[in-house]
Amino acid sequence: MSSSSGSSFLIRPYLLLLFILLPSLAFNAGHTDPVKWILTKECTLKVNGSTNINKFSCIVPEYTQPDTLICYKDNKSGPIKITGSMALDVQKFDCKHAVMTNDLRKTLKAKVYPKIIIKFLNLSRYPDVYNREEVIKGAVTIELAGIVKRFEVDYKYTMNGNGNLKLIGTKQVNFSDFNISPPRKLGGMIKTNNELNVEFVLNIKTLN
Amino acid sequence: MKRIILSGLIAGVMLFILCYGGLYLGIRLFPALFMDYNNPLFNSDGNRDVFFYMHAFIISFALSWFWDRFKELFHGHFILRGLEFGFVYAMVSLLPVMWITFSSLDITFFMVLSWFLYGFFQAVVAGTLFAKLNP
Repeated sequence: MSSSSGSSFLIRPYLLLLFILLPSLAFNAGHTDPVKWILTKECTLKVNGSTNINKFSCIVPEYTQPDTLICYKDNKSGPIKITGSMALDVQKFDCKHAVMTNDLRKTLKAKVYPKIIIKFLNLSRYPDVYNREEVIKGAVTIELAGIVKRFEVDYKYTMNGNGNLKLIGTKQVNFSDFNISPPRKLGGMIKTNNELNVEFVLNIKTLN
Repeated sequence: MKRIILSGLIAGVMLFILCYGGLYLGIRLFPALFMDYNNPLFNSDGNRDVFFYMHAFIISFALSWFWDRFKELFHGHFILRGLEFGFVYAMVSLLPVMWITFSSLDITFFMVLSWFLYGFFQAVVAGTLFAKLNP
């Protein structure tokens, strides 16, 4: 009688400790702190398109307004949620041909809608630093000429020598996705094709 | 009046085929020459396409009236009359218009020169037809 009450007296503090630790262990098993991704000014946006007489490639060569994306890395292999966006100036597009540059800005209604906003929604999984070249997928919304459209984007990523993550997203979009008519000149004899290949390069500094 | 309209209409059809056909072929054969038309100066939403394609008839009726008024001034073989008519039109109308266009718009000299030659060609074709249809 006295020995059993003695042993329960010894077990009680361990049980108490277990009750205190269990909930915190359970909480930590499913969640980690969000990871901050700082978008550096090396980020770029490139748009490749064509007309029936030539091809054009226009680029926003740098991102002068560094922003932060927040990654909620709940598990290592599953999809992750991202919040945050990047806003690029349409006026900064450069097609290496002044006339084409002005025409693209006019087509994208730069005076009325001066920004292209790419909002990041998720990634199929967190980029694995040990796999230096991998392909992942993710959802974004692109706001252009006042129209917001959701797209699934293919990403390639590499880890830079300085530890920065380089995420390259590519997607084929159409002018018509954003209610924009592809430009046509001389009664339609010179026509711009509806398809545009968009490539954005995110140069990311990771903060835990 | 009837002759002006009839010869204007025939010249319009001829210019439509020659000029737009030539432009269509030119764009396909020499695309580099047309790169500068990707310019915000030029209408790009297609809402004026009908006016663009009416140009052949606008110029043919205008030239038909002009021919009828001044045809006595052009002498010789019908081809020579057509050439002289085209030259007069180019000097009186095209040259001053192209001059002011080049001086005021951000377009290349080659583009203005091509418009000048295009207009001269149109007037020569129209003049040659008028010399036959309305001598």
